[in-house]
Amino acid sequence: MATYATDTHEEHYHQPGLQHHFEDMGQQQESDSIGMWMFLVQEIMFFGGLFMVYLVFRSRYPMAFAAGSNHLNIWLGAVNTLVLIVSSLTMALAVHYAQLGKRNLQVILIILTMILGATFLGIKSVEYADKYYEGIVPVSGLNLKTSNTYVDSAESISKNPEEQEKNSLNFPDQAMDAKQKPVTEHGEEKEYVNRRGDFIWEDTSLAVKAQQGHFLTNAEKIGYFTNGDFSSGEINAERFRDKVRIFFWIYFAMTGLHALHMIIGLGLMAWLLYKAWRGTYTPEYYAPVEMAGLYWHFVDIVWIFLFPLLYLLGRHFLEGGGGH
Amino acid sequence: MAEIRVENQSEHADEHRHEGEHHIVSLPAYLGVFGVLLVGTILTVVVAFIDLDHIFPGANTLVALAIAFFKMTCVVLIFMHVRWSSRFIWVTAVAGFFWLAIMFSFTMSDYLTRSAGVFQH
Repeated sequence: MATYATDTHEEHYHQPGLQHHFEDMGQQQESDSIGMWMFLVQEIMFFGGLFMVYLVFRSRYPMAFAAGSNHLNIWLGAVNTLVLIVSSLTMALAVHYAQLGKRNLQVILIILTMILGATFLGIKSVEYADKYYEGIVPVSGLNLKTSNTYVDSAESISKNPEEQEKNSLNFPDQAMDAKQKPVTEHGEEKEYVNRRGDFIWEDTSLAVKAQQGHFLTNAEKIGYFTNGDFSSGEINAERFRDKVRIFFWIYFAMTGLHALHMIIGLGLMAWLLYKAWRGTYTPEYYAPVEMAGLYWHFVDIVWIFLFPLLYLLGRHFLEGGGGH
Repeated sequence: MAEIRVENQSEHADEHRHEGEHHIVSLPAYLGVFGVLLVGTILTVVVAFIDLDHIFPGANTLVALAIAFFKMTCVVLIFMHVRWSSRFIWVTAVAGFFWLAIMFSFTMSDYLTRSAGVFQH
């Protein structure tokens, strides 16, 4: 094999990017693309399973999903969508300039793509942190816990000796949770009380609205009411909370898996950057750039679907009266 | 040999990539797709706040998905170069979504026809 390099100019011309088990560059490129697309088809099915879960649960509990969705920050989600779209453009252009053999533009565009990808992950982590502070991470104990020092501050708030006595009853947790949700001076925001880091959800307004408008699904008529008894007429807040919790499970699973793909993508970009910096890619050989591009665009496509399905699905319920 | 291949495919020069030759997509095509994605994103946010469920239940979701599908098609065809790829890659890409559609339709044909009757009030 070592002699190959020396006699390329004599017997048969051997293109520098061509590996010896391929006939020509066309066949090599075709094989690369097919292999990458097979992987992407596998990824489609992989994410498809999660979209399937989403579809099943949303079709059963649409109001719980709408309630959860309306609580997500639509503007952070929209900005993230734009960030990802621009990164898709810079990635496409990186492939374009790799095809033309322009090293500097290639390097600049790969760096831009990496910056945008990191920005996406940064905004995503801000969103995750918000969920932690608001107590809507669906795993018990993983939310912000109200520390025990709260007891002191609560006592200092309630100067009334009777209330102090109640607070020191045998069930401090219950007394605390039931009584100490003081309304702040502005009268609207409730103080965050979450001693065990549980998933907290109190707002059942959308379910009530659907009940009044008679468009609860059969699953909702069972799922939102005490003992599954629709005729009782009153929405059970805890049962509704558990359905909203399903939405947040799906939200974290899907965006988390997507974010993992972004992190892997950034790793690929770092490797591409190193290779492009050294001038590895030429108009004859740029397959790695193109394949990484396919991967990056695929991750973008997943987000194109995640954004409307997770962030936008219940917004129209907020405007005016019920739509039915 | 390469000469003959090119001649055979000359009728479909637009659709087929020549063996050993790379189609280089022009910049306006990339920027065009970028524009479509930008407008599509803004449109999908704006439409989400308008109550289309007046027309029929689920209209909002349908519009959002239609926009998403259009955006996806643009990305797949232009950014991912499928428009200039061989038939084999077309088939591979379409097969992925086809099998996904089978999974969705079979699963939902089960779930959507359950539970009525047993618990109905």
